[in-house]
Amino acid sequence: MRIQTNHRWLLFVLRNISLLLFVFIFVAFSLFNERFASLRNFENIILASADVGIVAIGMTFVLLTGGIDLSVGATMYITGAIVALMLEDGWGVAAAIPCGILAGTLWGCFNALLISRVRIIPFMVTLGTLTAGRGLGLLITESRHISVPNEMRFGAVRVFDLVPIPVLVFALMVLVAVVILKYTPFGRQIYAMGNDVEAAKKAGLDTTRLTAAVYIISGFCAAVASVISISQVGSVSASFGRGIEFQAIAASVLGGTSLFGGVGNVFPGTVIGILLIQMIQNGLIFMRVDLYLQEMVKALVILFAVFVDAQRMGLIKRLERRNIRLEKRIARPAEAKKLEWTAWQ
Amino acid sequence: MTVTPKFSPEAVSNTLKTFIQRLLLSEFFIFYLCVALFVALTPFIPVIASPYNLSNLFSNTWPLFAVAIGQTFVLIIAGIDLSQGAIISFTSVIGASLIATKVDPAVFGQSPIWGKLLFEDGAILAHTPLGVPIALLTMILVGLLIGFLNGAIIAYARIPAFMVTLVTQMFFASLAIYFVKSENIINLPKSFTSIGADSGLLSIPLVMTVVLAVVAHFVLSRTVFGRWLYSIGTNLRAAVVSGVPERKVIILTYMFSGFCAAFASIIYSSRMEMGRPTLGAPFLLDIVGGAVIGGSSLAGGKGKVIWTFFGVLFLALLGNALSLLNVPFFWIEIVKGSVILAAALIDVTRTRILQYHV
Amino acid sequence: MDDFILQFFGINKSFFGVKVLKNVNIEIRRGHVVGLIGENGAGKSTLMNILGGVVPFDSGKLLLDGQEYAPRNPAEAAQAGIAFIHQELNLFNNLSIAENFFISGFPKWGKTPLIDRKRIRLAAQEFLAQVDLNISPDMTVEKLSPGERQLVEVAKALSQDARIIIFDEPTTSLTARETERLFGIIERLKSAGKTIIYISHILRDVLRLADEIVVLRDGEVVKTGPKRAFNIQTMISSMVGRYLGTLYPERTSRPTDEMALEVRHLSKAGIVHDITFSLYKGEILGVFGLMGSGRSELAHILFGLDTHDSGEILVEGNPRNHRTPRKSIQQNMAFVTENRREEGLLMTATVAENMGLVALPRYATPLGGVLRQSLLAESIRNTVSSLRVKVNDAFQNQAKGLSGGNQQKVVLGKWLMNNPSILIVDEPTRGVDVGAKYEIYSIINEIAAKGAAVLFISSEIEELIGVCDRILVMGVGEILGQFSRAEFNRERILQTAFREGGK
Repeated sequence: MRIQTNHRWLLFVLRNISLLLFVFIFVAFSLFNERFASLRNFENIILASADVGIVAIGMTFVLLTGGIDLSVGATMYITGAIVALMLEDGWGVAAAIPCGILAGTLWGCFNALLISRVRIIPFMVTLGTLTAGRGLGLLITESRHISVPNEMRFGAVRVFDLVPIPVLVFALMVLVAVVILKYTPFGRQIYAMGNDVEAAKKAGLDTTRLTAAVYIISGFCAAVASVISISQVGSVSASFGRGIEFQAIAASVLGGTSLFGGVGNVFPGTVIGILLIQMIQNGLIFMRVDLYLQEMVKALVILFAVFVDAQRMGLIKRLERRNIRLEKRIARPAEAKKLEWTAWQ
Repeated sequence: MTVTPKFSPEAVSNTLKTFIQRLLLSEFFIFYLCVALFVALTPFIPVIASPYNLSNLFSNTWPLFAVAIGQTFVLIIAGIDLSQGAIISFTSVIGASLIATKVDPAVFGQSPIWGKLLFEDGAILAHTPLGVPIALLTMILVGLLIGFLNGAIIAYARIPAFMVTLVTQMFFASLAIYFVKSENIINLPKSFTSIGADSGLLSIPLVMTVVLAVVAHFVLSRTVFGRWLYSIGTNLRAAVVSGVPERKVIILTYMFSGFCAAFASIIYSSRMEMGRPTLGAPFLLDIVGGAVIGGSSLAGGKGKVIWTFFGVLFLALLGNALSLLNVPFFWIEIVKGSVILAAALIDVTRTRILQYHV
Repeated sequence: MDDFILQFFGINKSFFGVKVLKNVNIEIRRGHVVGLIGENGAGKSTLMNILGGVVPFDSGKLLLDGQEYAPRNPAEAAQAGIAFIHQELNLFNNLSIAENFFISGFPKWGKTPLIDRKRIRLAAQEFLAQVDLNISPDMTVEKLSPGERQLVEVAKALSQDARIIIFDEPTTSLTARETERLFGIIERLKSAGKTIIYISHILRDVLRLADEIVVLRDGEVVKTGPKRAFNIQTMISSMVGRYLGTLYPERTSRPTDEMALEVRHLSKAGIVHDITFSLYKGEILGVFGLMGSGRSELAHILFGLDTHDSGEILVEGNPRNHRTPRKSIQQNMAFVTENRREEGLLMTATVAENMGLVALPRYATPLGGVLRQSLLAESIRNTVSSLRVKVNDAFQNQAKGLSGGNQQKVVLGKWLMNNPSILIVDEPTRGVDVGAKYEIYSIINEIAAKGAAVLFISSEIEELIGVCDRILVMGVGEILGQFSRAEFNRERILQTAFREGGK
């Protein structure tokens, strides 16, 4: 009984690790530099989170099914290349953005086809489309660094003089993702499939269609993120979107999404995850830490996140192991209530 | 009554089908593909068969083959090692920063290892008699150590291998760049650079790599350890019940993978005559791709050194042809990505054929 | 006139050439509770899997409401109003109760694509009330106790408008109070006109619930009739039956009085409790226990695949403190696991590779572990021929191509090549045909005759009586009784396991 309770506590900590970490790191940086805790800096952190955050939303869908999408950076680049080239050719923003987003989504469809129909493992497929996609982007841009006209640089524009457009788009995407995952049949079926594919098939769910859908969503999110990123950066270079998959995976996993599928959410999970990563980066910049040391810190944070994930899943499995002898299981109502409460957090 | 003609369309298409299936399942499928590719390309780019080009082709192949051998071991136990590229870069920097004979303070003055390993009149071991052997040994040790780290985390924390090695990849690739502030360390001693210097077909890298390959092949096919690798990759649980010390084997496998990367780093660094912090970055796809194209399965339990050689040879040949054709860089990327997908497709097809026929 | 909801006519089913159902005829009346009993491997699960659309039948006819019925998948069975409540529950732990009810067809909120949460909540509440569960339908399943999950599964069946509900060992993970509750609900379902098929090893429960009882043995219906035609004694005797001919080889050796393995007060919370026994050299000690009795878990602890909280394990007088299979093997222990596919064999590897796996270090140079291949190959060839493994080429053919009996011989051979002095076998004849069973018993006999100690775990009482020197009976993680050869008696052993009498 005592051991059981300790496990529950450990589980509670493991489940809420990102929030605890968030508070801890925020306090630590604030103590180090008083300007860190300012409203202005907080806004900076959110602004910097917008594009990666949107990618991470799509990644969360993919991870919920137990898959992975390494190609999001390449998808961003393809979208960016098309948007920048169309603008360069004199097309308006209103034409360039939808075309770019369509191209990125199509790239996602390509992943979806190979993974759900041909049944090649997601890691391999997206590794291939990551490389080929980058090449494709370089091909159409001829490796040039392309600046976009001012009408595209709406990253700093505030709607109603209040919310910058990237933040607004990010918030909207989060809202839509939450609604899909929590309130639509499709969303709940994604969770069901991530929990147990075989049981999902038995229940008559179309797992092929569900699998395909998450990769298309991931492609779409990467494409939107690309547009947001261009609006902030003002140009598309050969390294556009490179390495963003790691940050997106890290944000999702830090936010409590499991690499093993079935567990996680976009809000608060992934949102906290991405804010945490950007806050660390921002804090390190405040501390004037070398750029590559920042990368190393990020690597360690990711390792920590997946470590926690693996421990959490291991513990849940152990707790769920069927007991043969039952006389030890005492469930007083009060205790059960408390467990329920902690598990909700 | 109708008599089915001997060469009816169905009979022909059936024969063709069995032929293609046999070909796909053959161990030498990729080798045949290499030969076919070579023969097909020769009329268009006759240069490809010139001794100079062949020597160039093979000198590109050897170090890549060496790393891919390590990857093959990891794939056999159903793992993956994405950190090999970073190990190549990091050991390249470490090796060079021990033996560079002259270091420009204007370039490296800001480096965190300035004044510790790097000095104006050369690196710390630059003018000592055993400097180069010690540097080589250090490179190998660092490779083993990073491999140990990968293996230990995978075996004990039970985190998926691709995630662990992705993190170590990020970490050591950044550390390599951080150490030298993105600069290449040049002025390496002759005794080091001569290792990888071009000396025709029969070069030191060839001898080194062939020795490594023979040893690796021997380990896989003739030792207890080799059998343990396959058993872990085929069915981890059954292997554990049968007394295979799975953690030890997993750790040793990733150590070997790190060793192979450091080994290749020696060849690459000496050939380029520099310690380069981004040396290994472009190779990741070639390494995993080479092993998988050769026939090692990402699902584990399958893989041979010779298969990997064919896979690497195929990729090197393809790259060589594309560069001779003056194809721009991005086309090479597109082709590489497609080849990875094609390899995965072949793997899936093979498995399906086997399912229906056994 | 009889109102049959479900009729089986001459149903046959074979797996890999082994007949598991032979000409099964059963008629089930609407609104009745039918108890289905039989030993493990009697064909109960197969029969129910056919009904639930998990496997198809080979020949025969199945009528549902007088209409021909042959479900191709579980979804079709569910559509036809048949719900299957498995031992392993089919709920999605990460979803709420209400969501689990409607996962394959959510009602929408007006014309929007959104789930009508209010409606599913209300509907779920109603069905939960029917099974007396007073919990919020929004509760996530992972927070429920095993008993509550079972009831949720019943409520889910009701929500899907099931007319026939199959319970497969529903009480194994329930407390006494939860069991009572479930029985009350089954009674209520029955009076609401639902038809129930109840499968259990707990005969007392079957007798209490069922209107009719069907007994299966070796894939055949051996007895069927109204409840009043049965009592616990007749149930057991018809389940066990009488066997013809010699199915078991003669024991040629006697156990010694040298201790090979001693277990003292071994406990692990929630798994096993206060296990004490000794195993002697040359002895075959049977462990009888049903699924969920803790028998396999005990074997895992003994072999070092799992930990224990307290108690001692002594191997030839030396305490065994480590917990890795490798160390156990070095102490000359061997373990033929219950689950060949997952824990026993490398299915895609060759027979030879499987056979050599355990003993590899014996055939290698001490330094570097280089294999003496010809020696190893010869040894494998000898083992293959001495165990009479039927395989064309042990060095080419994959293990998955062999029949169940031959696969089991490969597993045994793998351990025998290491000359074990303590051999634990867990259900060694599961999925093995009769002829191969005899050979496996002979192999185990020979091992014992050579002085090794054998712990023979099984849920088939006949084979234990036929093969063992002594039998321990396990249940709820404890040793419930011990029988020496002279005391062997099927009924008494079963009674001890079921705790029906004696206590």
